[in-house]
Amino acid sequence: MTLLKTLTKAPGAAIFIAALSLPLPALADDRPEITVAVQDIVTSGALDVMRERSNVGARVFFSIFESLIDFERQELDLPQKPMLATEWRQVDDLTVELTLREGVVFHNGDTLDADDVVFTFSPERFGMLPEQMAAQEDGKQLFTSNVSGVQGKVPPPEVAAIYKRSWPLLERVEKVDDMTVRFVTTQPDPTLIGRISRYGSEIYSQQGYAAAESWLAHAQKPIGTGPYKVVRFEDDTILELEAHDEYWGGTPPIKKLTFLVVPEVASRVNGLLSGEYDFITDVPPDQIDLIEREAGFHVVGGPITNHRLMVFDKNNGAMQDPLVRRAITHAIPREAIVDALWGGRTRVPAGLQWEYYGDMFIDGWEVPEYNPELAKDLLAEAGYDGEPIQMRVLNNYYTNQVSTAQISAESLRQIGLNIDFQMKENWQQITDPSDGKRAIRDWSNSAPFPDPVASIVNQHCQNGGQQQTGEWTNEEFNENCLILERSMDQDARKAAFARMLEIIEREDPGYTVLHQNAIFYGKRQDIEWEWSGLQSMDFRTENFRIKGMQ
Amino acid sequence: MLLYTLSRLARALVTVVLIVTLAFIILRMTGDPSIIILGPDAPEQAYEAFRRNWGLDQPLIVQYFKYFGAIAEGDLGRSMRDGRPALDVVMDRVPMTLALTLPALVFNLILGLGAGVFAALNRNTWIDRAIMTVSVVGFTVPSFVMGLVLAMVFAVQLKWLPSGGSGSWAHAILPVISMGMIGAAVIARFTRSAMLEVLGQPYIRTASAKGLSWGAVVLRHALPNAAIPVLTIIGFMVGSLVAGAVVIESIFSWPGLGRLLVGAVANRDLAVVQTILILIGFTMVFANLMVDLAYGWVDPRLRIRTLSTAK
Repeated sequence: MTLLKTLTKAPGAAIFIAALSLPLPALADDRPEITVAVQDIVTSGALDVMRERSNVGARVFFSIFESLIDFERQELDLPQKPMLATEWRQVDDLTVELTLREGVVFHNGDTLDADDVVFTFSPERFGMLPEQMAAQEDGKQLFTSNVSGVQGKVPPPEVAAIYKRSWPLLERVEKVDDMTVRFVTTQPDPTLIGRISRYGSEIYSQQGYAAAESWLAHAQKPIGTGPYKVVRFEDDTILELEAHDEYWGGTPPIKKLTFLVVPEVASRVNGLLSGEYDFITDVPPDQIDLIEREAGFHVVGGPITNHRLMVFDKNNGAMQDPLVRRAITHAIPREAIVDALWGGRTRVPAGLQWEYYGDMFIDGWEVPEYNPELAKDLLAEAGYDGEPIQMRVLNNYYTNQVSTAQISAESLRQIGLNIDFQMKENWQQITDPSDGKRAIRDWSNSAPFPDPVASIVNQHCQNGGQQQTGEWTNEEFNENCLILERSMDQDARKAAFARMLEIIEREDPGYTVLHQNAIFYGKRQDIEWEWSGLQSMDFRTENFRIKGMQ
Repeated sequence: MLLYTLSRLARALVTVVLIVTLAFIILRMTGDPSIIILGPDAPEQAYEAFRRNWGLDQPLIVQYFKYFGAIAEGDLGRSMRDGRPALDVVMDRVPMTLALTLPALVFNLILGLGAGVFAALNRNTWIDRAIMTVSVVGFTVPSFVMGLVLAMVFAVQLKWLPSGGSGSWAHAILPVISMGMIGAAVIARFTRSAMLEVLGQPYIRTASAKGLSWGAVVLRHALPNAAIPVLTIIGFMVGSLVAGAVVIESIFSWPGLGRLLVGAVANRDLAVVQTILILIGFTMVFANLMVDLAYGWVDPRLRIRTLSTAK
């Protein structure tokens, strides 16, 4: 008390105390709070780019994480652009060197440097150190184990497996100096730049990871460099982000960005129209008119880098004959499906490829023509005797999936195939080979970077999903896979890709492309925002503005 | 009475074991959690690692006995999605669900009992027919339709209430009304039927004949005797307190146990599903036990019969 009295009697004290009692000038933050109603935030329960492999995860991760190289995500041809790396060069066939951007601050306040990039691609991060693998082995006791990833920095084992498939040729990432790194591969990798830009190559903070109590703790509140940082995450309920004001790309335009799980389409639409949500995702085409009839709301979106396929198992029954599979490829009325179910808002693509492949795009290639008469002739030539052919379908995992399958099944019946239409509950039932009758199933393929390796190799070559599940293989196709994946001769690669399309889409069909997938967002019309074909939602300054607000 | 209670408890335990066993078998026979949780694009090594890590590579019978062994030690397992103890995951959601189901139950009782008694006392009048018409609509309209219609009217058109979410007490109003309307309709019909049956009994005429007011007859003689069938229905509703909001929680994006159950089943998050089923089983069985005991309290004849049987 004496000290206080002394201080208050001191010259100028009164002025000082009066100054303290005055209200501080308000730190103006009139940025909006935005709510996005989504079908799901992630499917794996974790905000980790190597654990979460779903389309829905890609939607939120771009707000939290960033890669060294990225894409102009709102442009249709998705050109690559510098992100956390400002420039890069091919040092030799095995090495790419990248210069890191100065002044990039992680959500925890650390500054990005080469150590973070080396850590991001280190065995430690993927749980591949001997002690981490031993810890995974220890967690074998059913339901009573200390699950790996919960105790200690041990990621779930699938993280390492996904890393190995995403980076099959990467030997190491090395630090050249504080702001320079090199990616070194064991063999020439023509897709190395593409892989650096792909989903799953986002840069993590070494310090941020080290400070987390466990792998899971980090996966629930990860430290990235994106414009928004995680405040709260409950995987089936809510992801709350707040502006990361030290973001290198400028102050984020939204103060609080919330992704709210609203599983029902009708509830999402109601919430948008009642003003509770600013954006809703996964709007089915039949709801678009309903939203656009209401003043102040509209729908944006369109085709994304994902194609819907009908996949064949060539091992069973009539499907062993390529003529039967070829007949199927000519019996699907793809344009009718696009018109009837999508209102013409997507398209039938040129086979399993995207224009953003650039020079690797095969001009003039098309899906097999719709020609039921030709299909009937092929069946007659094959001597098809009416044996049932199983068609396995999930309940609208993809938009319009069941309707598309129903139209396809009826079209196949029209040419004389005996389709055994089976609704399945999950992917395990879809791919289960145990009854020896697996024949036709639904799938989709994405291309996370602009090269055919991203899709046809990853999904249909020796290590791809289709051959791994034992549905289909072809010797010549596999030889071309190796050329496409490893040759540095672009002409040879392109020729290999063209031949692969001929084999798997025409001569010995392993799948047939149905249509390009599309995603639609309902939103407030006064918000200027563009969607991306990469399925991410971008809320950076250059892609978000509310009309009438500064 | 003790013997009776113990026998009910033993039956309850067997019921719960049967529920968990059935769920264990069905969940494993209809999908491999590794493919469901990791998605169709994960490499084969990832699936193998996942199965090994969770013991799914072991024979089913071994998994089954290990699971029950762990339960005996009080360990209900961990969520495959985030590694948290399944019991923690489940108990985190119970308060949210009760925040809907308890007010809905109160709504059911007040509206349903009142409407049922009122309809019975005005039998065959327009009041009776109006109440029963509304109640038929109430229990025939599916809860998701009821929920969506209420949201369309009160959230989208009138903008009086939020259409979904759980940020404030106002968010609970529409889900509670949606559930309450349906439950009240059921109780109203049962109450009316029970009351009509009782009102035709000789002891009601006797009570009236000895000069009791009609109100006293209804309260002291009719209602207690009509309570048995209504108690059975209420018991069902109390038993459903934990699991009764699955659809409504989805419609209104309410983060309760129902939403958790739907997600856990879809993802084959085995420990979480089984923990929820155990909880539901216990709640149901406990509610039935309470109803049985309440029968004896409401109708002393049943208590005496039970005691003589127990001897």
